[in-house]
Amino acid sequence: MPDGTSQRQFESLLAPLVGSAFGVALRLTGNRDDAEDLVQEASLLAFRAFGSFAPGTNFKAWFFKILTNRFYQWCRKHRREPEIASVEDAPEIYLYTQTRKAGLHEGGGDPAELVLGKLDEEQVGAAIASLPDDFRVAATLYFMEQLSYQEIADILECPVGTIRSRLHRGRRILQKALWEIAVANGIVEPGEAEE
Amino acid sequence: MADEKLITCEEAFRRLQDYLDRELAEHETEEVNRHLAVCEWCASEYRFERSVIEQVRNKLQGARPPEDLMSRISASLQGEGE
Repeated sequence: MPDGTSQRQFESLLAPLVGSAFGVALRLTGNRDDAEDLVQEASLLAFRAFGSFAPGTNFKAWFFKILTNRFYQWCRKHRREPEIASVEDAPEIYLYTQTRKAGLHEGGGDPAELVLGKLDEEQVGAAIASLPDDFRVAATLYFMEQLSYQEIADILECPVGTIRSRLHRGRRILQKALWEIAVANGIVEPGEAEE
Repeated sequence: MADEKLITCEEAFRRLQDYLDRELAEHETEEVNRHLAVCEWCASEYRFERSVIEQVRNKLQGARPPEDLMSRISASLQGEGE
């Protein structure tokens, strides 16, 4: 049974990354209430398992492993509407192609900024939330924590090749989602008819 | 260097994602850099894709946890020890 000393030790390791954990949880669940619950539940699970944590090793990776596992359990309880972006219909460099068609590469500015700079945090978060679960987890860890393929693979206990594939495909799906949100909100006018 | 043959646009395109993620071997990265130095089309694609990643990252960093989250966690852990 954990005691006061181990609680202090645990909290000294957890406190510096609660902000990061919340940010990741928010992108995974899509709302603040569920994100808070996820972080609290993961913290409790991690504390109960603290005896299995090897001092001096990577606490953040260990905790995020518990957090993401808890998120997958959350997914099973909260089956999402099938309003999830398709993994099939997302060509390479989708956003680049669409911004070219829309004429945004003329004029000297940053065409990515011309589109994404006008999206707010909620809209970008919605695009992340539209990704299928496995892609969303990898993409969230990548964008929020700037982890390497290997670091993400260690957290998710997947082969590096699987993470690489999920990130590459996930970013393609994300780009399509971002473009569709930008068009829907009148931020851009699509150029030629999409193929 | 013995061999500084330029890679093709097709090869540069194939390495784009790994390059952005800094997952290429050093010599592969150098080959891409040499190509980008002479191919504005590919350089434009690379700049754009990098900017997309940076824009998305910047937008996602704004979330702040509730100020009392850690204290609530601490309180729940306290119950475990009793």
